[in-house]
Amino acid sequence: MKAFRQHEIESFADGEVIFTEGDTTSEMYVIRTGKVEISKQVGGHSIGLAVLDRGSFFGEMSLLEGLPRSATARAAGATELLVLRPGSLLLQIRRDPTFAFELLQQLSGRIRELNEKLIFRLATAEFGNRLARSAFMMSASAEYKSADERDETTATS
Amino acid sequence: MKTTVRENRLLVVSDVHMGNRLHRTGRAFRDFVQFALDHRYSICINGDGIDLAQLSLSHLVSDLMPSLGLFLRFGENDLRIYYTVGNHDIALEHFLSDVGRMKVVPFITVKSGDQCIRVEHGHMYDNMFLRYPRIYFAFTWIGGLAILIGPRAYNALHRFNHGFVAFSEWVLSGFGLIKSRRPVKRIGGIEGERECFHAGAEATGLRGFDAVVFGHTHFPGSYMLTDGPRYYNTGVWFTNPHCVAIAEGRVWFGPVADLTTKGDPFPMTEDEVVESITGVFPVQHLGTARMSHVDHVAAVSR
Repeated sequence: MKAFRQHEIESFADGEVIFTEGDTTSEMYVIRTGKVEISKQVGGHSIGLAVLDRGSFFGEMSLLEGLPRSATARAAGATELLVLRPGSLLLQIRRDPTFAFELLQQLSGRIRELNEKLIFRLATAEFGNRLARSAFMMSASAEYKSADERDETTATS
Repeated sequence: MKTTVRENRLLVVSDVHMGNRLHRTGRAFRDFVQFALDHRYSICINGDGIDLAQLSLSHLVSDLMPSLGLFLRFGENDLRIYYTVGNHDIALEHFLSDVGRMKVVPFITVKSGDQCIRVEHGHMYDNMFLRYPRIYFAFTWIGGLAILIGPRAYNALHRFNHGFVAFSEWVLSGFGLIKSRRPVKRIGGIEGERECFHAGAEATGLRGFDAVVFGHTHFPGSYMLTDGPRYYNTGVWFTNPHCVAIAEGRVWFGPVADLTTKGDPFPMTEDEVVESITGVFPVQHLGTARMSHVDHVAAVSR
């Protein structure tokens, strides 16, 4: 039984911060019960990125890349988390190979979601550019027209 | 491929081994599928449903044909069939996808009511399968030959195989390669089941599942894991097949024979049956907003 206790289980109360953006901790978490809200500070405002449910994981970026936390995680309701450190992640994968499969599945889902958001942003930016270009062309042509009219008036006078 | 599914009513069985010469499961399995249809359960065949490793085509036809027509009716009734891949049908890993109403998956996480239940065959936790696949498949192949000789030869080989695996694990544990030295007889544990499956169930249960359902070991049983989740093993159809019935987060475990002879452990009310077929509760349960909408439509049509 002792071997299974190499994994830590932590509990958080509603609203309690699990980690903050910029922290240098490197644990990854699997949600056993409850929900976790992920948010990011942009221009002094906190923007909610996702609300993760039971079975989801988070914090994997710091664990895999050794970089500071890129977002803040906060418990939404009473939450219990399985804490995985680099060593225990490998142990968990060895003991439960389907965990690796699900990890990849969820990461793949997140990349797909990001791609869709990026495409949407690019498309709207492109649309905005086109709109600006058309507006510019319209105003330019209006100016050109008014200049023509001016020229015509001067010519006739 | 979706591995997390929401199912209000689901029956899980494993190791049907359709097509294996050792046993004919056709009629019993058909009764089980019929029961699922009659009581509006989706089903999950949790690995080794079709025995591709020890296949006899004539046995497969006689085992599968009675149920095949019923499978088609699952779609008509808005029910699903999940097929998780096991070691005797591992070739089906090439077909992991949705085939109509049948979903071939490596495992599934079932969300039912407020419960989260993990269903997988369990061969991924078998030390012999993982570390020595060639020896494992050699034994499976020899097992196929033994079946041709007769059930006694097969059973003798099975006992030898069991002893061989236990001996190998014991020898290897001396070098620290495999931690399990002997099958642990814990309180409420499943007699005969090797330690590696318990370790696998514990590791899976750690992730917050309320229950973990395996097959593969051919030893049916159930007990509580360390952190509270319950472990179930649904055994094999050669002997006394067991079943896990899930309904709105409630779980029942027992022999398939009990299910088909004693009746549904979670009977549905008439309203629930109507709701499960039409997707809405019967008219008398509709809210006032919906009723006024219906009245309005009636008034317009007049």
